[in-house]
Amino acid sequence: MAHIDNTDPLLQEITGPTPGQMLRKRVFGHQGLLIGAVVLIILLFIAIFAPLLAPHDPYAQSLMNRMEPPVFLGGTWEHPLGTDHLGRDYLSRLIYGARVSLLIGAVAALISGVIGTAMGVAAGYFGGRVDMVVTFLINVRLAMPVVLVALAVVAILGGSLQVVIVVLGLLLWDRFAVVMRASTLQVRGREYVAAARAIGASTPRVILSEIMPNIANNLIVVITLEMAHAILLEAALSFLGLGVQPPTPSWGLMVSEGKNMMLFEPWLVLIPGAVLFLLVLAINLMGDGLRDVTAPENRS
Amino acid sequence: MTSSWLKTSIASIALIAASGAAMAEKANDTLRVAFTKELENVDSYFNSSREGVVLQRAVWDGLIYRDPVTNEYKGNLATSWEWIDDTTLEFKLREGVTFHNGEPFNADDVVYTVNFVAKEENGVKTQRNVNWMESAEKIDDYTVRIHLKDKFPAAIEFLSGPVSMYPDEYYAEVGPSGMGLKPVGTGPYEVVSVVPGQHFVLKKYEGYHDSPKGAPEITNIDIRTIPDVNTQLAELFSGSLDLIWQVPADQAEKMSAMDQFTVMNESTMRVGYLSFDAAGRSGDSPFGDLRVRRAINHAINREELVNALLKGKSKVIWTPCFPSQFGCVEEAATTYEYDPEKARALLAEAGYPDGFETEFYAYRDREYAEAILSYLNAVGIDADFKFLQYSALRELNMKGEVPMSFQTWGSYSINDASAMVSQFFKHGSLDDARDDQVLADLNVADSATDPDTRVEHYAKAIERITDQAYWAPMFSYNTNYVFTKEVEYTPTADEVLRFTTMSWN
Repeated sequence: MAHIDNTDPLLQEITGPTPGQMLRKRVFGHQGLLIGAVVLIILLFIAIFAPLLAPHDPYAQSLMNRMEPPVFLGGTWEHPLGTDHLGRDYLSRLIYGARVSLLIGAVAALISGVIGTAMGVAAGYFGGRVDMVVTFLINVRLAMPVVLVALAVVAILGGSLQVVIVVLGLLLWDRFAVVMRASTLQVRGREYVAAARAIGASTPRVILSEIMPNIANNLIVVITLEMAHAILLEAALSFLGLGVQPPTPSWGLMVSEGKNMMLFEPWLVLIPGAVLFLLVLAINLMGDGLRDVTAPENRS
Repeated sequence: MTSSWLKTSIASIALIAASGAAMAEKANDTLRVAFTKELENVDSYFNSSREGVVLQRAVWDGLIYRDPVTNEYKGNLATSWEWIDDTTLEFKLREGVTFHNGEPFNADDVVYTVNFVAKEENGVKTQRNVNWMESAEKIDDYTVRIHLKDKFPAAIEFLSGPVSMYPDEYYAEVGPSGMGLKPVGTGPYEVVSVVPGQHFVLKKYEGYHDSPKGAPEITNIDIRTIPDVNTQLAELFSGSLDLIWQVPADQAEKMSAMDQFTVMNESTMRVGYLSFDAAGRSGDSPFGDLRVRRAINHAINREELVNALLKGKSKVIWTPCFPSQFGCVEEAATTYEYDPEKARALLAEAGYPDGFETEFYAYRDREYAEAILSYLNAVGIDADFKFLQYSALRELNMKGEVPMSFQTWGSYSINDASAMVSQFFKHGSLDDARDDQVLADLNVADSATDPDTRVEHYAKAIERITDQAYWAPMFSYNTNYVFTKEVEYTPTADEVLRFTTMSWN
């Protein structure tokens, strides 16, 4: 069999770049996407390898070494980012906190993504009564203020990592449903859907292999948005004392614990705040970037 | 042109206004103070907060006054008193005292006040403060007898504290809610205005009698509720507050390094302790085992908590009461030195070589609770931390659903062991130990009139409680007072702000 050499300039001139090459070009030409992805990958790496990276046990308390300043404010390299109000190493807590934030963001987005996408696609594809019911449910959900409901539920059930994840997962599906419904409505009348139906493809097959790939780019954007949303909400709940419970390290909790000393030791709040900001920014940048490079109108 | 002129003038007006606000109020003879918590009702019988106690001492007087330094009882609205029998106290009242509204003070006021508050259906918030009184009886205009329900040796202490005298005609007319909005008493300060929960303005009472509280010096007291400590500090920096209190240790430490503020630290009667469900009310819990309770007592490094977290005048406490309280015999208490190894060994002996899981409740001082939690983790106890509001935790506690909790008790600044030990170990709904031997001793100690008998039986109760490790008493609290150099004040050890002893430098 003749081997086709893609790098042959003559051949390239004749055929033009392959879709893969074009995608690669778009990806590497998109600065926001690259920055977001790099930051996110670094944070993911930190979260996964936390036990290897953290210089100290994040739970080890040393009351005699409370609130030591970070190294850039005159501290020592023993605790590069200082220690918290119980003398625990701030860097180690920050590193372990990345696990909590990413875990909550990912799992909550996954749960709400499954719920919201199923509802949205069903509503968009079947229309009629299904659509009415789904739209009603979306409206009901939109009428509930997320933070208040989350606060109330967590207050009743008690705060823990699992409860926070499930509560956020069950609350954040509205945007998935709205966007997936609208996207499905757009594509379900397309020729390729009609063609698939005409050759006798089953409904699940039409949805999975004709509709889903064509609305996936929207789904990705919503996933990233909701992931960022969930991470911020967890931080807010933990800040209010109703999220992840101590001694679990969580960035929101760290901000909350540092709040009392904000006038005198602002770094206690600034450090976890800055990391939280960085993570959410990275996720949003990546989401925007992914939409830009995968949107069908950019493919041609 | 016009607009830039306008901007400049607005800016300068704003500047002038700001600097005016920032000027010290010594010139106006107004002391500006911040409260942290909202006070629900100024009527001192209808609130249970520290802020309420502060206002109560400023606006009203009791029959007796206890000198906060010498602990000596002095006559205030009464000039003398004597026990007629075990349950009857007779008072000679001070003549010539008038209430802020001009009503003269006499036996009718005492009789009305006592009869009103002693009646349970009138709903006085802290029943323990008043429910030992049966009624009051007028002998003549300036002689009154108070009848007790039962023998109650701590009566004098209570009469010098939470029981203050109200004007009968006015109180009959306006009731507790009217009293809360326009309080009238005989105290050193009269109330000018009240915005409930928010803002209280007091003014020196010119007609104040010659009381052991002393004559007030500062003319106006302006109290605002500012819940956030950081905001309070910021206002102190900007000069719109003169005095704040209950400042956390870390912030107070930083403030004391600054020249423009005085930081004073005083101990309080509040004791922090762990309570265990020894009676097994929450189901089959490990705390029924004495070895587990002792293990936890050994697991906590009280010295470190006091030195690094509470600081100031806090002390390590081994008794289920505050050592200055009458009957709180420190020598009777068993002490448990910090020894995590021993704690592990005891846990292993009790059948928990790898520790166990339990719920751990707290309602205040999250930081302290977290530190304690970490000591428990260190010996293998995996505690699920639950932080609740005080009222919610109290309710759970009453239902007996709390295996272990971090609690504190301030005894309402009553200098008698009955205000703490008897509150918790007499098989009430908050009693997690339910020990009959302790109950028997406390019953004797609470009602005996002979001081030696009381001490002996409180000591026995304390010995039993600490030997059985029903609690893990840990530390006493302290309070930091921070004020500008213009203010002169020496705080007392009972966590009460006394405006009468404040003056300008």
